[in-house]
Amino acid sequence: MSLTRLAWRSLRARTLRSLLSGLGVALGVAVLFAGLATNAGIDSSVNSTVRDLVGRADLRVAAFGEHGLTPETVRAIKETPGVEVIAPALQRRIYLGPDIDAGQALPPPVTVLGIDPVAEPQLHDLHLIAGSLLREPTEPSALISEQLANEDGLTVGAPITMQGTGDRVTYRVIGILAGEGPLNGAFGRIVVVPLQTAQAVFGDDAVTRVDIGVTAGTDVGTVSDALVARLVTQPYVLSTPQDIAATLRNSTADFQATTALIAAIALFAGAFLIFNTLSMTVVEQVRDVGLLRAAGATRRQVTRFMLSQALVLGVFGSLLGVGLGVLLAAGMVAYVRTIGSVTLQRPAIPPDAAVPAVLVGIGGTRAAALEPARRAGRIQPVEALKARLDLPSARRARLRWLVGVFVIVTIVGLIAAPRGAGVVQALVVYAVLLVGTLCIPLILPAVARLAGIPFRVILRFEERLARSAMVRDPSRSTLTLGALTIGLAMIVALGGVGQHARAAAGAWIADVVPGELILSSIRPVAPDEGVEADLRAAVPSIARISPIATFDVALEGARTDAAAVVGADLAADGRLRFTAGDRASALAAIDAGGATIVPAGLADRLGLAVGQTLTVPTDSGTPLDLRVVGIVERSIPGSGGEAMLVGWKDATSLGVAGADAFAIRFASGAPASARDELRAVATTYALDYVTLDRIKGAIDDAFGRIFGLFDALAAVAVLIAALGIVNTLTMNVIERVREIGILRAAGMTRRQVWRSVVVEAGILGLAGALLGVILGLIVGGLMVVLAGGRIDVATGIPWQIVGLSIMLGIAVAMLAAAYPARLASRLPIVRAVRFE
Amino acid sequence: MTVILEAFHLTRTYPLGATTVEALRGVSLSVEAGEFVALMGPSGSGKSTLLQVLGGLDRPTSGEVTLEGKDLGSLSDDEATRLRRDRTGFVFQSFNLIPLLDVVENVALPFTIAGGDPTRGELADRIRDVIELVDLTGKEHHKPDQLSAGEQQRVAVARALVTRPALLFADEPTGNLDYTTGTEILDALKRSCVERGQTIVLVTHDAKAAAYADRVMVVGDGQIRETIELGRRDTHEATPLIARLAQLGL
Ligand SMILES: Nc1ncnc2c1ncn2[C@@H]1O[C@H](COP(=O)(O)OP(=O)(O)OP(=O)(O)O)[C@@H](O)[C@H]1O
Ligand SMILES: [Mg+2]
Repeated sequence: MSLTRLAWRSLRARTLRSLLSGLGVALGVAVLFAGLATNAGIDSSVNSTVRDLVGRADLRVAAFGEHGLTPETVRAIKETPGVEVIAPALQRRIYLGPDIDAGQALPPPVTVLGIDPVAEPQLHDLHLIAGSLLREPTEPSALISEQLANEDGLTVGAPITMQGTGDRVTYRVIGILAGEGPLNGAFGRIVVVPLQTAQAVFGDDAVTRVDIGVTAGTDVGTVSDALVARLVTQPYVLSTPQDIAATLRNSTADFQATTALIAAIALFAGAFLIFNTLSMTVVEQVRDVGLLRAAGATRRQVTRFMLSQALVLGVFGSLLGVGLGVLLAAGMVAYVRTIGSVTLQRPAIPPDAAVPAVLVGIGGTRAAALEPARRAGRIQPVEALKARLDLPSARRARLRWLVGVFVIVTIVGLIAAPRGAGVVQALVVYAVLLVGTLCIPLILPAVARLAGIPFRVILRFEERLARSAMVRDPSRSTLTLGALTIGLAMIVALGGVGQHARAAAGAWIADVVPGELILSSIRPVAPDEGVEADLRAAVPSIARISPIATFDVALEGARTDAAAVVGADLAADGRLRFTAGDRASALAAIDAGGATIVPAGLADRLGLAVGQTLTVPTDSGTPLDLRVVGIVERSIPGSGGEAMLVGWKDATSLGVAGADAFAIRFASGAPASARDELRAVATTYALDYVTLDRIKGAIDDAFGRIFGLFDALAAVAVLIAALGIVNTLTMNVIERVREIGILRAAGMTRRQVWRSVVVEAGILGLAGALLGVILGLIVGGLMVVLAGGRIDVATGIPWQIVGLSIMLGIAVAMLAAAYPARLASRLPIVRAVRFE
Repeated sequence: MTVILEAFHLTRTYPLGATTVEALRGVSLSVEAGEFVALMGPSGSGKSTLLQVLGGLDRPTSGEVTLEGKDLGSLSDDEATRLRRDRTGFVFQSFNLIPLLDVVENVALPFTIAGGDPTRGELADRIRDVIELVDLTGKEHHKPDQLSAGEQQRVAVARALVTRPALLFADEPTGNLDYTTGTEILDALKRSCVERGQTIVLVTHDAKAAAYADRVMVVGDGQIRETIELGRRDTHEATPLIARLAQLGL
């Protein structure tokens, strides 16, 4: 019989354990595959988003602020040498209506995109799934996105009504564009109309962006330089498709790095399992192997015999893993939907992600098998005759192996991981986990003793037996505990990071909004519209209405978020925490003009200090000087980050047409009905009534989604660790068959034996949970600090997750004990005490 | 004299592939209180199987075992375990000790299992007493790997005796030992029998060991072939037994 056949038979003889190990490999590979597939899916989504965004354009000039690019700017672009085609477009958000009913919640807005029906198709493909494209520059027709069509029940031929600055206009839908349509960040609700009609509707002759196709054979860099030289009258952003892709990728980098990290950890836990299983197999098969050797098998043949077993496990596990991975990836993509500013259209699962996953699975299994296989090869024929074997050398080898696997996984991870800032973070986390795991053998007895305390109280003898079983083979316990510890540590760490992110975001809102709720508008509400006065008249118990607008400014050549606020309102409401500058005078200064308050993050990035002056270009051409009068911990969130704050006077010269939102503060003692009245009135002005709680809820939801996913992945690592516990406990039982026999002969009941194994599991679980929580809190803290956050020990500990993890650790371990405990308690005494 | 252990028509078969192995084929015997009985026979004759069935470690395929008047077959696993813990003691050929526990802890095992505190009171006295009986005073806190093979076996004897069992079963306790060391064990067993009236069932294939017994039963092919009465003697001279066995052609 060939050795492979023998290997197969040997695995079959231990079906349950072989299945468990195979499953361990499968879960590791599944997480890896899902990670790779999701990351590949993100990449392809980024690419298709970039394709949709810029199409065949070589350059894009985008406007700052609401005024957009003026006709002069567009003309200047068109006349720049080397510019072949320009496709200008106007983008605005509106509500579709026939009518907005007072008192009803506002419908989700749509984004109107005005395009040049002739130039646009030269640079962008519009994917029609029904109807036809726009043809005439002034026709009253519209294309809508498939998602909008589905959500609002619109079909080709349906009328849609839009409320612009002037009269309400009604267009006819003539075509439906595939999926979410050609814009990013519009939630898939898009209406495309001819540019000229859009300009007429909005009463505006500006455009939001101009896409440029350069003449064939012309260098894009040269054209770009020529544009920079010509466009001097107003601020703009000039970008290439590569810039846009990089920005989008950046927004997904953290997610990708975290996924990769968790995948590496799950794989690592899988490797623990394989190594332990094969070590067990060696121990169990010492006699078989000795006899094989006595019968003339060479060392190499024996090693091959063991490696064949690993190969079978690896192939089986990897293939199953890819199957599970496909499901997991589909689930992940469907669950998360959007990452950063990229929408994942479909569970893009490229088949080539399967190849590395399978290779890593099989290779990892084989690598984990090397050491046990070599050990098997070293078994002497006479050992077949020995009744007991000592494996002190095996113990040392195992710890060496642990370091080896960590290094290998790190290298593989570095090669496979997405580039970017997240990598450093992942490496640091990884290193901390490595050091933590390597410390386990040193502190194992102490931790086991500590974790044993709750069990000792009621089951003294069982606890003693269990603890000594654990300490007998410290490296095996280390591997088992290590896998559980890092799995739980990841859950705790991610929980900590999630809690921090949520708390920070929540604090953010409460910290900067001068009111208790917000009325938000999808279009700037100009002061002369009289909305504020109308609101006050309708709801007399309003104490304060504070207009806020967010916009972009060009600061030292980079797009920077800015917000217009009323300093006096912020002062009165006690908002903003200053880290530099005097609060009262700073807030007064921004209202007076020529001053700005910057968020700490921006101040750090640009090295700003109070007293410095920033120069910002304006629409009018004369730059505006803003003196930094204060630095605040957190500021109003803009589209890309925290905004620098200016007063309304400066904002107006920077081209801000009106408020995007109003923060509302009611007078103390305002009747409860006031809020309902306000909600009703707001709707008639197309203002969305948003409580701060709702904003926090939305933030919680978004974070919950991402961190829930991460937790699910980390839970897979815990699951793999559980399989490892099954293996280790089983191995401890098998190695102690004789000891258990003696105990049974000396009068230990089945139940006592069963309990001692369950207690062993309980100690492992509790020890893993304790170490996992400590390590997890450290790692979580590190992740927060590395991401530029600050930890608050008092509120930063995610108690709920800590409690859950401890329970999870113990429960998982106790469950894992079911089989080995049964095995031990059912052991026939006569077999155990039989001398062979 | 009271009969403490009785067996009637014991059989024990092991399934072996498609066939079965008949390890015991109808064994009946009885042991009186205070008696020292040896089971002798060639390898594979069924001695260990018989001892395990008599001691309640294993159940017979058919037949009955009565220990102190209790039918072992009618007991649940827990009851049998408790009987084993309180009324019998076992010594096996090797690996009798828990490696992580020291001498006292190993000896105290049956008490610990029963949930008692063996560090004080009467239990502690008993433990000191048996350790003295097997001549291990002074080595109470040695771990098994710090003891010689003979000493380890004496710890096993002490543990088997500490509960003052009605019956002590020993399966080739000297099988792994050289002659002198083996003699120490047998002396300890004999002492407990003479001084304390301990009933002992000893399995051996060595006539010199069997000669310590009052009565020798010769097992062959799953049955008791012969019973040789040696009687209680001061010596353990093996020559008469060897002569009898030769006479019987065994
Ligand atoms: N678990 C088992 N499965 C199958 N056959 C068994 C089993 N245990 C014992 N046997 C068979 O039962 C018979 C008696 O075995 P036993 O161990 O009682 O012999 P023994 O007299 O103690 O021999 P030895 O002096 O070698 O210890 C032998 O033929 C043995 O092969
Ligand atoms: Mg035997």
